[in-house]
Amino acid sequence: MTVDGAFMWALILLLFSAMLTLIRLLAGPTIPDRAVALDSMTTTTAGAMVIYGVVTRQAVFIDVALVYAVLSYIATLYIARYLVKKRVGVACECEEGEAA
Amino acid sequence: MNFEELFWVLQAMVGLGLVIAAIAAVRFKNLVSAVIAMAVFSLILSLEFYILQAPDVAIAEAGVGACLTTAMYLLAIKKTTDEEVIE
Repeated sequence: MTVDGAFMWALILLLFSAMLTLIRLLAGPTIPDRAVALDSMTTTTAGAMVIYGVVTRQAVFIDVALVYAVLSYIATLYIARYLVKKRVGVACECEEGEAA
Repeated sequence: MNFEELFWVLQAMVGLGLVIAAIAAVRFKNLVSAVIAMAVFSLILSLEFYILQAPDVAIAEAGVGACLTTAMYLLAIKKTTDEEVIE
């Protein structure tokens, strides 16, 4: 197996794991499950983008992965702020100041 | 495995993922779940632009789809009432 073949198989396996994460996103019963599935899928796809840039030997393609990683961080931050404000997924529904 | 086979395998996986994410974004009853499915749709669409050798369009799609629409939809959902938002 050549080096390019190894990179191509790694790329296909990364996208396959992203599709497994998509199954978790479809089946996840609560919103934090789906948010974590989105974050992990974004990270996996950014790795796949970097490997595709290596296979096609074009350095411009690495920038897309970097930009998408930063922007998906902002999206995850907004989802997390919303979940904290609405108290979704909080284990204890007790008031502030009580023992957990 | 040469590059042509890799291209068609990637196209098949990306098309399947686009259809699945679009159906999920339409059919989710929960509003935040639908927004997360829209973010996944935007991610896979950006990957499609990327595979079709257009990195600048992919960067624009990433900026609009991942950051702007998710944040604006969540800021809008935060203003709505609770009865159909919280699971």
